[in-house]
Amino acid sequence: MAAADEPTATYRPALGLGWWARHRHYLLYMVREFTPIPFGAWLVWFLVEISRLKNGPDGYVAHMSTGFVVFSVLVLFFALWHSITFLSLSGLIVRLPMGDRVITGRPIAALAFGGWLVVSLVVGFFLVWLGHA
Amino acid sequence: MHEHTRRWRPDRVEGFWWFMFANGGLVAALFLPVHILVQGILGPLGVVPAVDQHYDSFAAAMANPIVKLYLFVIISLPFFHVAHRLRFFLIDLGLTVAQRPLKYLLYTLAVVATLLTAYVVVTVP
Repeated sequence: MAAADEPTATYRPALGLGWWARHRHYLLYMVREFTPIPFGAWLVWFLVEISRLKNGPDGYVAHMSTGFVVFSVLVLFFALWHSITFLSLSGLIVRLPMGDRVITGRPIAALAFGGWLVVSLVVGFFLVWLGHA
Repeated sequence: MHEHTRRWRPDRVEGFWWFMFANGGLVAALFLPVHILVQGILGPLGVVPAVDQHYDSFAAAMANPIVKLYLFVIISLPFFHVAHRLRFFLIDLGLTVAQRPLKYLLYTLAVVATLLTAYVVVTVP
């Protein structure tokens, strides 16, 4: 028998490569974990577009192709998934002290989703308004 | 104190990556969907004009330092979120070897992407 102060072996169960396909919740978890990868690729694409401004008025080409639109639709799906799951968790994580009370749960999540709506409207307005200018 | 007893201290470097992960995730959650919708879908389809469709409007917007700072934040911070999530996504998929090199590789890529973003937004007209 090992002494109390000696390190003990840790049992680590082997899950196998396909563990995430065994249950719907596992699959949804892995989709959530995957969501940043598409919008990371979209941001690289956006960065390439910004850098094209160096080419001047004649050399600048915006992303307008059908392929880019299809790609953006897919990315938007994952970005919305990320936003909804990430902001939903704020209700579990954030604890806001208000005097002798602590605000958490649904009010915090509602605040996060309300903030998302306001940010989207403001940013969307500027993206379109500056496009008119 | 027994010589085998280890002192556990908070890993501040790991804490930093989690901090960047959380902030990048929040920025991505709040700001990216509307950019993807307007610049990636509605603008190219001609439903609405988008700022990046024409050189003149995009260059005029980029001349504003606040726009440069804004774009730097909404592009660079999510790269840290991507790196962190990709690290644990691969581990969750069953990656049992080279976890430390993977961690260094992904966070280095995030730092490089941040520097590249800063360079691009500062140097464009």
